[in-house]
Amino acid sequence: MDNKMTPRGAGLTRRGMMKLGLGSVVAVAALGPGARIVMAQEGQILKAINPAFSQDWSPLRGGGVPYRWNSVWNASAMYFNENGEIQPYVLTEWAPNADFTVWTFKLNPAATFSDGSAITAEDVKGSWELSAMPATKNQRIDQVLANVDGYAAVKDGAATDIPGIAVTDAATITVTLTGPDPIFYMRLANHIAPIVKVSQARGADGNEVLDFFRPENGGVTSGPFMLTAIDLDAGTLAFAPNPHFFGTAPKLAGIEITAVEDNVTATEMLKSGEYQAHTELVTSTMVQDLGAEFAGGPTIPTSQHFWFNAARAPMDDPKVREALILAIDRDGLIKASFPDGPHQKTDSVMNSVPGADDAAFVPFPFDPERAKALLAESSYGGPEKLPKILFVGISSPANEAAAQYIAEQWRQNLGITAVDMKPQQDQYAGPDQNAVQIFRDDVGTRVPDAPSYLAGSIASGSGNAQGKMGGYKNDAVDAKVAEALTKPVDDPARVTLAQEAQRLFRDDFMFIPWYKQTMSRWATANVSGMEKNLDWQIVAPWAISIA
Amino acid sequence: MFAYILRRFILWVPSVLLVMLAVYALAFYGAGDPIKLIFLRAPGDVAYDPAKIEAIRDQAGLNRPFIVQFGGYIWNLLQGNFGNSLVSGRSVWAMVKAAAPVSFQLGLCAILVTAIVAIPLGMIAGLRQNSRLDYIILGTAVALWAIPAYVAGPLLMVLLLAVLPDGSVPYGWGGIFSVKVLLPLIVLSFQPIALILRQTRAAVIEVMSEDYVRTARAKGVPELVVALRHILRPVLTPVVTQLGLIMITIVNGAIFVELVFGLPGLGRLTVSALTNSDFPVILAITLIGSFLVMLSNLLVDLLYPLLDPRAADAKGAR
Repeated sequence: MDNKMTPRGAGLTRRGMMKLGLGSVVAVAALGPGARIVMAQEGQILKAINPAFSQDWSPLRGGGVPYRWNSVWNASAMYFNENGEIQPYVLTEWAPNADFTVWTFKLNPAATFSDGSAITAEDVKGSWELSAMPATKNQRIDQVLANVDGYAAVKDGAATDIPGIAVTDAATITVTLTGPDPIFYMRLANHIAPIVKVSQARGADGNEVLDFFRPENGGVTSGPFMLTAIDLDAGTLAFAPNPHFFGTAPKLAGIEITAVEDNVTATEMLKSGEYQAHTELVTSTMVQDLGAEFAGGPTIPTSQHFWFNAARAPMDDPKVREALILAIDRDGLIKASFPDGPHQKTDSVMNSVPGADDAAFVPFPFDPERAKALLAESSYGGPEKLPKILFVGISSPANEAAAQYIAEQWRQNLGITAVDMKPQQDQYAGPDQNAVQIFRDDVGTRVPDAPSYLAGSIASGSGNAQGKMGGYKNDAVDAKVAEALTKPVDDPARVTLAQEAQRLFRDDFMFIPWYKQTMSRWATANVSGMEKNLDWQIVAPWAISIA
Repeated sequence: MFAYILRRFILWVPSVLLVMLAVYALAFYGAGDPIKLIFLRAPGDVAYDPAKIEAIRDQAGLNRPFIVQFGGYIWNLLQGNFGNSLVSGRSVWAMVKAAAPVSFQLGLCAILVTAIVAIPLGMIAGLRQNSRLDYIILGTAVALWAIPAYVAGPLLMVLLLAVLPDGSVPYGWGGIFSVKVLLPLIVLSFQPIALILRQTRAAVIEVMSEDYVRTARAKGVPELVVALRHILRPVLTPVVTQLGLIMITIVNGAIFVELVFGLPGLGRLTVSALTNSDFPVILAITLIGSFLVMLSNLLVDLLYPLLDPRAADAKGAR
């Protein structure tokens, strides 16, 4: 009876089951690690987490989360290494004329796209023009091409060609500027406007061809890896080595990116070893969770500060501004916000550029008694007559910790209690900026240059001065920055003038200095070659390997 | 039946148009400008150039008057064109077509799980009112009710990541028959199970005191038959209504579950569209959501006569 119910050969004796179990254990023990060895021999795949289901992976946006992976699959004109030294890439030589208004660039004769075709001077010109087109929505193209003759008409939608960029011959490009710029070559050393195959990426109307870069559209790339699969809805991308890459061959067999939006889940996946890298993981416990190696990296020319809007009461009184700054123990501020790093306290506006370490610059002291006296001397007379102070840009745990610490210091040292905080910085653009007294935001530069840093942060023409500082303008600061920008890179006056400008700005008491930014690797300790540069890019994607 | 369905559809069209007009107006006159947001949300070194932003807005047709834009949108919609995302340039239809089936399948499964688990347990709890079993079932339901999805999801995920070997943690979407669905399904069903269980129990207790139940028992009808034939059927009518409402909530708003488990559904798409003020996407989601509400209500209405013949009579009278 029993034999009828059990198919012939399917019945197992107890001994048979034990043999099968033992065999399974042996098989798993032998073949499991074996399988890993085979995988390692075939090539290593870097598995990375992206914090969003990014819907737009065009390499021409100059910003957003996908921008952080641009150097993996796109070549740029030049690039900076992790030490801030410029490196040739698609362009290998550059030379200015005597007054720095015309620059001549030579192409790398070996430069090719992933289909084996040569990267031409027309591709370089076309890539820059395409990035300048308004429909491309490139967030930072101004930083690259703002001084180029004819750029303004293209970015405003009135033209499609930039006459200031001229193809002299197949291997030479000449760029004519609207004024002298001794560091123009540095402005090209980033992935804001990477080199794309123009015949594929640019339509007849001069605009970007939608999804030109996707594999199913025959997308051709110029970087060390090429995109082999993309599923925007599933949030996954896969890259394989570019067989025609003109630089060093990549060590990895591929890179896989998966969207994991929840930071807790992402952290656990990295801890478990399932993934080895992250696009940008910002949590207050990142160092405790994943180690100093994960969060470590070089400091870049970007810093975070709290900016005072001088157009708004009570910031219209310099004595109030000074009192608010002197009442804060800034050592405590950095401990409250980044107790284990990776970012470091700073005293000045500019950081991590030549000249940032200025011995003559006097940091704001922590002096509660002086702060109290200043507040009493101010036109407001004391804390009780101050209007409520509104912070905006308080949009992450670290920002909250810092803003709360500042508010608490003011309560303890000055008796100020009316303080409010909001996350939405973008709701206060334009005229609404006058409703806010303090903006938390970063300033910085994509070139290791002190005057450029200040031109984008404290000069009256900068968005930071016009918006967040309520139209701040100090003629002496402007004059020094403007003069510094005209000096050649090797002229010491370029740095000293910038330092003088920063000292003058310091005496206007317009900001609470917070931290200088570390460009984290966001990769586990067993991954090497993930160092990033001031452009937030992986410096040498071809060198990434997994131990 | 067909006439009834058609009448419901015709009634739905003007209401959805009004909803879409309101949503479009909110997006148009509200604070969010998708083009400005692209530049304002980025870190501080992004240049905010009003002339360039105006040029982008011009090219995207966003500088036209409100009514022209809305009319254009509806005209395109009538031709089956949902437009393109203002942020990514992708076809909105492609985005919705990819996201809606995920949410819909997940919602349907969650409802099935809820019905299979909650109705029998609610029946048992109601039939054994104030017994130890009732307390256990009710206590569990209250505990489940107290755990929101945004707590249960990450906790379960962290637990599994700690316990399971590398690569085996369910994450992402692999289809409704994939093992990856189990965890989100459990988390999604927690609160609906508690809700339906409590509702079923309350309804059973109420129905048990009805005369016809007492009569059936007096006639010696077996307890199982009383429970299934005389108690369950009237209990199901309000429960099915509730399940329909839950289905709408799950399909349209399983935001936290989709976020934690990496599911590319409508909830995640909604959050991303709202954050970026991407109104073609917002409008498409509104349309789909509204259609689902109509469809769900219709299904519930069609189910009523099967559960209670008196409902069919009432509908016939209308």
